[in-house]
Amino acid sequence: MKKPSIKKFLDQFYAVSLGERVVDDIKSGEAKNRRERRHEKIKEKQKTLDPKKVLHDFWYGKEHEERRLGDLYIGNTGLYKHREWRGVPDTMYYFNMIWLYNYAHMVMDILGSDEPLKFFTGIWRYRWIGQTYLSVMHWFDRGLEGLRGPALRASAWHYRGMVSETIRQFMRMFAADTKLHAGEKNDLWYKTIAHDETVSGNIFYPWRDVMDDVPLQMIPYFVTCHVNNKTVLNYIDAMQSIGLPGDPCPMCQAESGIFVLDDYPDYSPVMVTSNEACDGSVATSIITDWFLNRPLYAMPQPMRFDDPLTHKHCMSEIEGCWKFIEEQTGIPFDFEQYKKYADSFNELTEFEHEKWDVAANTPYYPINSVAQALYRIYYSQDGDRPIWHQVDAHVKKIMDKCVEKKLVTFPKTRHRAIAWSCAPLYYSHWCTWAYNCWGINTIINMDSLMFDQYLRTDTYEHALDDLARYNELAPMRSMAVGGHEHIFQLWKYMEQFNCDMVIMYDQLQCKGMQGIKGMFEDEFRKRGIHAIWVPHALPDKRTVSRKEIRSIINDYMVTVMREEPLDPTLVDFDDDESW
Amino acid sequence: MKILFKILKLLGISYVILFIVFFFDLDGKFLYYIWEPRIVARYDRMKRRDNTTTPYTAEVS
Repeated sequence: MKKPSIKKFLDQFYAVSLGERVVDDIKSGEAKNRRERRHEKIKEKQKTLDPKKVLHDFWYGKEHEERRLGDLYIGNTGLYKHREWRGVPDTMYYFNMIWLYNYAHMVMDILGSDEPLKFFTGIWRYRWIGQTYLSVMHWFDRGLEGLRGPALRASAWHYRGMVSETIRQFMRMFAADTKLHAGEKNDLWYKTIAHDETVSGNIFYPWRDVMDDVPLQMIPYFVTCHVNNKTVLNYIDAMQSIGLPGDPCPMCQAESGIFVLDDYPDYSPVMVTSNEACDGSVATSIITDWFLNRPLYAMPQPMRFDDPLTHKHCMSEIEGCWKFIEEQTGIPFDFEQYKKYADSFNELTEFEHEKWDVAANTPYYPINSVAQALYRIYYSQDGDRPIWHQVDAHVKKIMDKCVEKKLVTFPKTRHRAIAWSCAPLYYSHWCTWAYNCWGINTIINMDSLMFDQYLRTDTYEHALDDLARYNELAPMRSMAVGGHEHIFQLWKYMEQFNCDMVIMYDQLQCKGMQGIKGMFEDEFRKRGIHAIWVPHALPDKRTVSRKEIRSIINDYMVTVMREEPLDPTLVDFDDDESW
Repeated sequence: MKILFKILKLLGISYVILFIVFFFDLDGKFLYYIWEPRIVARYDRMKRRDNTTTPYTAEVS
């Protein structure tokens, strides 16, 4: 006997009622009227059709106000009916140099790794790769929506760098992973150092030529939220399922949830942890210690780091970490290797300053906010890698051309915004939306300004001194929870980057930032600054949805700024089920 | 010469097909409607080690 199916019944019911409607329409003449109305509409369109404009739009793409980007979405999926037509040169650039180029290079990156076939077993084994990273080109689409010319090109290079480094990291994890090698510990397992994603990659330079280091949560958790925000929810729920209340920082919950679900690769004999983003998550080291069950060195970064004694303590902790690695791996510390990579890393910092200079003082900066922010936090946390230098060389060429030819890269900028505090990971591309919809151009954000530090390499003492300071300026320390004098650096940076608006991220589960909200409001009023508070819960879109974030910006822009949207189709749309 | 022409033709056709896939977001639609539900079902069904049974001791086992 066939199983009764409600879906089938409804389908049949719908088909019958649709058929009845068609017959009724024909009988009543409604079908004919509809046809005539459609014809009239087409005739009217033909009358107003300007062939010159059609040709211009085809070649150069439509003007910003005529794009109607919101019409391209399919329901709440975030998928496109078709990808945006940006004019012939930009569409073909996107197709050839972004879409095709990145798909091809992703394959090449995988083939160039230690064990390419482990990519497939990795997909079969780990949720965070099979569900998340295959949809990576949609991450490009969302972040680069509406971009044209040099802004499209330079921003896309940043994405390419992040994708390449992500592939390098997960392929190294897979190549050393005992779970993908039937429990066997291979040579790579012994030559890989695992560490928390908030422990800087710079710490491990002394062994870079003989061992590799891979942050454990960067790929399974942090980057996934940006590419496909659905995966992370499993890890948050897993952690709460063993008794953690829902209100601690969801970042630390998700990082720990990876262990609860046994969804982490086992690729290293040791682990170096920190207290993650803040002291609220100091327990993550304990949870990691419990689940990983192997030699672990906990190196919590201080909250209030201005004190010289704290700095001294931080230096001794780094030395302790180096000693721990030497003892565990039997490979001696090599200062010459440290020097080589730290000097190379300083070149990245130098170019970053050049980028900031152009962003702050000219309208010719060709990198959109989401590319700037994600790239900066990724490489500054990750440390020196060849791909960052390759990307910077491409971007420098584009940026120099923009400055030389005075190309205004974001011509519809109405407000130059600075985004402060920690951003919603599931909606990092909101900056793209804010520019396309309202002309809010986020010039810089807080996370980009962290780690603003050259690493001296002339002596061991100087190197340690600077590295300790770099470690103290870790995510969230330097500006969010590192003391109010650091949080209030906002005013200085607002002036430096010539901003007239603040996007104030309000992480609902961050107790540190909540404590100072009132003081910020007082200061905004006193200084007459337009500030929009954007509530969110870092990786967890269920607490505040992307649509809610947009509606808050919309309300402010309409009721306070009294402005009209540049693209009205982007004001209100659903994307709850999108990646 | 004929072979070269054939290769060029094949490349041309592949290029057009890829452009159609790109322009109509067919890669996204495939991953969203076909790949993701199936692979997620697999991960949901997967038997996993219960890590909470790991004893928490000072010594590494």
